[in-house]
Order: sequence, then C-alpha cells, then structure tokens
Amino acid sequence: MTSLSKADLVQELNRLFAEEVEAALRYLHLSHAVRGINHLLVGPLLKRGFQETIEHAEVIAHKIRELGAVPRLDVNLSLQPQALDAKEVLELALTFEEAALEAYQDTLRRVEGDIPLEEFIRSQIVVESEHVAELKQLLVE
Amino acid sequence: MSDKPGESRVPVDTWKEFDQTTVSHSAGHHLMAIGDLVGRLGYARVSDVARQLNITRGSVSISLQPLKKAGLIVQDENRHLRLSEQGQALVAALRTKRHLMQRLLAEVLGVAPEQAEIDACKLEHLLSNETAHRVLSFLRFLDTDAGRRRELVDAWRATEAGCERMPEQCPSCDVRCLAETIHDSPKQGRST
Repeated sequence: MTSLSKADLVQELNRLFAEEVEAALRYLHLSHAVRGINHLLVGPLLKRGFQETIEHAEVIAHKIRELGAVPRLDVNLSLQPQALDAKEVLELALTFEEAALEAYQDTLRRVEGDIPLEEFIRSQIVVESEHVAELKQLLVE
Repeated sequence: MSDKPGESRVPVDTWKEFDQTTVSHSAGHHLMAIGDLVGRLGYARVSDVARQLNITRGSVSISLQPLKKAGLIVQDENRHLRLSEQGQALVAALRTKRHLMQRLLAEVLGVAPEQAEIDACKLEHLLSNETAHRVLSFLRFLDTDAGRRRELVDAWRATEAGCERMPEQCPSCDVRCLAETIHDSPKQGRST
C-alpha cells in the first residue's frame, strides 16, 4: 500500500484536479484567441481538448469524492487578450499538456502500492501521452 | 511642500511601466523559487516550483517559457532548472531590494513585521536601482551610529502624536488632511 495518508492522497488528486481545470480553461481561451484561417484549422482540436480536459477533471473530482472528501480547487489564472497563430497555440497547448503528463507521472510515483489509484493514474498517463504525441506531430508536420 | 496632493510630477504613462519592468511580480517569484530550490535541494524541477508556489505545473511551465527565452533560466536534458548568470543577478537584486524595503518599513517606519514583509514583497520588483541605492545609503547612515539612529527615529515618532488632523495648520497637507485620505473605502465623515 502507498505510504501516503488519505489526506495526502486527496491533496495529490486536488493538484491534478487543478491541472485539468486550468488546462480546460486554457483550451477554451486558446480556441478563441486563434484567428482567421488558423481558427478553422485548429479550432476543432482545441474544442476537443477543452471537452476532454473537463471530463478528466470530473473523473478526478469523482475519485476525490470516493475518498470521502470534497474537491478543493486552487486556480490562479489570468489570460491575456492576445491573438495567436496556429503554431503558437499548439506550442502553448503542448507546454501545458506535457506539464499535465508530468504531474500524473509524479503522482504515480507517490501513490505506488495503491493498486486501484495506480491503475487510474496509469490510464490517465496513456491518454495524456496521446495528447502530447498528437500535438507534437501537428507541430512537426 | 513640493507638490499638491494629486498633482504628480510623475509622467502620465509611468504606471504602464509597471508591466514592463525586467520581470513581473509573478516571474520574480518563479525565479526566486528556482534559486531557493537549487540552493536547498541542488536541483529544481517544474513540479518542485509548482509545489513551492502552490500553483499548477501547467501554470509554471507556461510562465517559464518567456524566462527561458530571455535567458534567465536554463533547463538541462533531465528537465532540471537553474538560473543563468543573468537570472542569478536578477534574483540577488530582488532579494536585496526586498531586504532593504523590509528593514526600512519595519525598523525605521515602525510597520508591523508581517505587513512590512508583505509590502516589501510587493515593492521588490518595482523599485528602481537608484531608489534602492538611496534606501541602502539611508540605512547605512542609521547603522553607523546607534545613538543617532535612536534619536532620529524617536524624534520623528514623537511628531506622530501631534497630528490633529487640521490641514490648515499642517506643514505637509494642503486643503485636505492627507492622513484622512489613506483608506480603502469612502469614509462617512470626519470623526470628531
């Protein structure tokens, strides 16, 4: 079993919850910051990113509830009204998706031994890795 | 009195420079966190900075991008962060400015230590080098003679009790009592 107490586990999950909610808000903002023809190209990808990250946040919130706690959300975000091109938007998305992936990898090390939670985190790592790979591919092509 | 209250000699656009200082308040804290972590652990990862600042990794990663581009931090192949020479100099300047302001506010002006720390933190990245040098010079002047320091500070603090909120008799106020204008919300009227 993991050496983390229940309170520590909840804290870990709260961190992931904040990562996902913040990423969702960033996707939402980016989807409206990208202008012109670029919007047609990457708009659907950003909308999908928004929906998926919100779903991830919900799954994590559910996990926190399963542990008998109420999710805590600490997000400190101020996004500037700056128009961006497709490449800039994809680079930003890659930056916070990589950060989310690392956050899950970091949490996995901490929850080692708690098999159900480990499995959940692993499944999230798979999904986040796919997001990162997709964004990298788009930036290379 | 050199200026009437509200009649500033500061150029109109100076407030805009707050956003154009070398680093923003947030960036300053990211740099100082990296400096602290490297000093304490020997390395700093994005996750460590996020935990220290109690913000998300995503937020740290996004905030670090312009600092990397500006050459203030370097990330190695293990994704460990460190301050560049320029970053170290900037952090040292920020820490010095915070220390000087903290001392000036707490030791000289008598602001409560906690409030002095908060205000010094807010001011550290906005203070010009010229002002920091003047503050340092003033503190050095006080530090060279403990007796003179006590005399000066005591003399000044003794005048605080003498403020009767009567601007017409005050050498520092004009039409309004400046002390009465320092508050966050409209006052109902002058208390008598």
